[in-house]
Amino acid sequence: MKEDAVRRQLERVRDEAIRKEADFAEVRYAATTHSGLMLQDGRADRVGAGRRAGMGLRILSGGAWGFASTESPEACDWLAALDDALDMARVSASRIEEPVVLADTPGAVDQTKTSFEIDPGAVSFDRKVAAVRGYEEASGQAAGERAANLMTGYNDAHQLEMVCNTRGTMISSETVRTFLWHAVTTENGSVRQRSREVRAAQAGFELVEKTPAADFSVRAANRAVSLLTAPPAPAGKFPAVFHPSIAGLLVHEALGHNAEADHVLAGQSILDGKLGTQIAAPCINVVDDSGIPGSWGSYRYDSEGTPGRRRVIIEGGILKGFLHSLETAGKMGVDPTGSARADGFAHRPIVRMSNTMILAGESALEDLIADIDLGILLSAGQWGYVWCEKGQYTCHAGEGVMIRNGQLAEQVRDVSISGMVLETLANALGVSRDFEIEMPGNCGKNGQGMAVNGGGPYVKVREIVVGGQA
Amino acid sequence: MTREATDDLPKIAEIACQAAIKAGAEFADSFVERGRDLSVSVEKNAVDLSSARTRASVSVRAFVAGGTGWWSASTTSEDAAREAGRMAAELAKAAESDPDFVSLVIPAPYPEVAGLYDEKVASLEAPEVACWITQNIDSALSFASDAIVSGWAESSWRQTALVNSLGVKASEQATHASVSVQVVIRRNGDVGSFYEWDAARCLKDLEPGELGARAAAEAAKYLKSRPIRTATLPVVFGPLAGRGLVLGLCAAASAEDVQRKRSFLVGRLGDRIASEHLTLVDDPLIPGGLSSAPFDGDGFPHKQMTLVDRGFLRTYLHSNYTANKSGEPNTGHATRVGIAPTNIRPKLGERTGAELIGEVEEGIYVVLGHPSPDTASGQISALVDAGFKIEKGELTYPLQSTMVAGQALEVLGAIDAISSDYREEPGVILPTVRVSSMRVASGE
Repeated sequence: MKEDAVRRQLERVRDEAIRKEADFAEVRYAATTHSGLMLQDGRADRVGAGRRAGMGLRILSGGAWGFASTESPEACDWLAALDDALDMARVSASRIEEPVVLADTPGAVDQTKTSFEIDPGAVSFDRKVAAVRGYEEASGQAAGERAANLMTGYNDAHQLEMVCNTRGTMISSETVRTFLWHAVTTENGSVRQRSREVRAAQAGFELVEKTPAADFSVRAANRAVSLLTAPPAPAGKFPAVFHPSIAGLLVHEALGHNAEADHVLAGQSILDGKLGTQIAAPCINVVDDSGIPGSWGSYRYDSEGTPGRRRVIIEGGILKGFLHSLETAGKMGVDPTGSARADGFAHRPIVRMSNTMILAGESALEDLIADIDLGILLSAGQWGYVWCEKGQYTCHAGEGVMIRNGQLAEQVRDVSISGMVLETLANALGVSRDFEIEMPGNCGKNGQGMAVNGGGPYVKVREIVVGGQA
Repeated sequence: MTREATDDLPKIAEIACQAAIKAGAEFADSFVERGRDLSVSVEKNAVDLSSARTRASVSVRAFVAGGTGWWSASTTSEDAAREAGRMAAELAKAAESDPDFVSLVIPAPYPEVAGLYDEKVASLEAPEVACWITQNIDSALSFASDAIVSGWAESSWRQTALVNSLGVKASEQATHASVSVQVVIRRNGDVGSFYEWDAARCLKDLEPGELGARAAAEAAKYLKSRPIRTATLPVVFGPLAGRGLVLGLCAAASAEDVQRKRSFLVGRLGDRIASEHLTLVDDPLIPGGLSSAPFDGDGFPHKQMTLVDRGFLRTYLHSNYTANKSGEPNTGHATRVGIAPTNIRPKLGERTGAELIGEVEEGIYVVLGHPSPDTASGQISALVDAGFKIEKGELTYPLQSTMVAGQALEVLGAIDAISSDYREEPGVILPTVRVSSMRVASGE
């Protein structure tokens, strides 16, 4: 559908919602075209592309929410979905504690496009294959005879989201994304190890040109080879220093999800009731910033049409604020933070992070490890999750390096760690001046995936549980 | 919103497939899906949102010299099907050749699998779905007046058609219903939580009524959790946690991962990979099973098979591609995007889960967690999401920040008992699994 036609149809459904006396209606159109290829065993023999588009609408009626979505481009189907959403709101209204109240914000009209240097759609398939092959060949050379399997993927996407609501909002956001990944499996006899690197940005094909193999696929290969001879990580509680990628995982999983105001209001967050109190060591400052140019988790407007911005979550160890949608801001009597994001058209906007990070400090890495007699430096963050209500989290590090007598010592294999959010934050002993935000990923919440990024400095903590085998 | 079952889906799939061949593909298959979902979510003891969604998609895989082109779109119109076929063929031409590709699946009779579609589920309206979850608010509050309940209920209906250029024509209708309830209890600055769920293909198999009370009862048990000392201990995996261990093994048995040398089960076919207590049967033909279906994602007929027999790995899980590549029998485990097991049923042991716990002098009982090994390295390093310390055969106190670790083949080899009793979900048996020794890290 052409953008003008979509706009007219969104407005028609919105106007019909007003006519049917909805208290609030938000009609969103989302369309994504994507393409990708995978190179494995030296062959780019799997190539994919596609298009996904549709409309989702959210109705507030009788103080309760109803939602409906359809893939159909037809106006009659959109109007039928409106009736469905009104029916759904009536179902919701049968059991609410109190009516939903939205933050009182004015409508906004704007049109935004992310910038890129090289349009991925204008790059030939052969050029994409050549770039990916370059990564694989460099990785293969680095891994040498230890290489068992190399996989390299390239994906690009063009996303259009249009948000129209009964407050006069009409926001159109176009985003171009490029995603690179490389996975190496190495083997030595019966021992196998795997390592993975990801680079992703709101960018065009220039991401490839700005990603040298040495910082990407070769890094994964070198790690996968060295892990073959590394001993297992130890088990127990140890002083630890987190690489920025682990700091990024930690701040996202352990703190960020707890700072999502929908979790707080649902009684699911460990941060409930702690606003304005000291919840972390004074060296900990945390922000979520959707305005970092080109970052994977950035956006200009959220899926409710609210401008995104920099949100301070922790300042000097004190909990300063949560991430908000129109609904959670209305309930808590604060301004929305532009943190409501939806995964495509078939889901409603919910509170999400964007680019979440611990801010840098003044220490050098050497200073952080200098007084650790026996500890572990954890790096190559992979994944994690949190039980928000308990504050219990886990993160997986792709590798570790033991710290002995204030010096980095032997490498150890990948390992998961665990802790309690508030204990870990209170036990932070220092943060480095070195800083990196390079953990682009797809965060899952309530069945929705979302592009986010995370990072920070090196962070030293008094102790953490390391789930190793030794 | 009404459900509109139509008989045009095989025709749409045929159009897509033919378009791919016409555009130059040597082989092609297409998959078309329509459906609707109703869901109602609850937060803090009140309905948060009710949703109605339609689903429509067409996807085509086209093959030229073995290279695969894949195109998907979120529509099922005839024009979109033609475009999908043509685009997939163009992508296949651009793809590099794959000499390991042989052919697609050829037509064969499909088994009858009962209970995959229930008109009662397909015709449900949102208020009925809402009842499944709202009754659990009351159920939880009846057990604990301070319970904080969240969760959701969902019903879905699907109509699918799969066609390939060698004459395969398959279609089915399916229904699903599920309820998930999480209960949080906060007392004196402490927190206990737990979740319960139920899922079924047919309404008669869904028992949503008491999930809230059960979750509340369990949540209360997790107050006053604490760490233990780091040690090497027996670990008893309860029905839900044990499933993670078993499914992790199944993931590593994917022939695609094995052939690409990224599985810890490379070269292990026929070998002992677990103790004699472990026998795993994969059965996609169980009436009403959650993962039951007459055919797999390639259109290959499903059948029952034994994956692990008294500790010996009897087969890898194959798709049409991997079976042709290695010359082994196709086990029918293709999905549209990879390889996956269906209904996994471990062979049961002779003593109950309680007896297995009762025999442990000191150890831990893992109720919730994801102890799946890394498919390449086989390393297990996982958080105990919910569990208890076992002392002198009794569950004592709940665990906090406790992790289990080990090497998959060693852990599987150390399984010293599977329980005789089990949790059953449609098609799936979930017994208790005891491992005689694992590294347990914690923070005492």
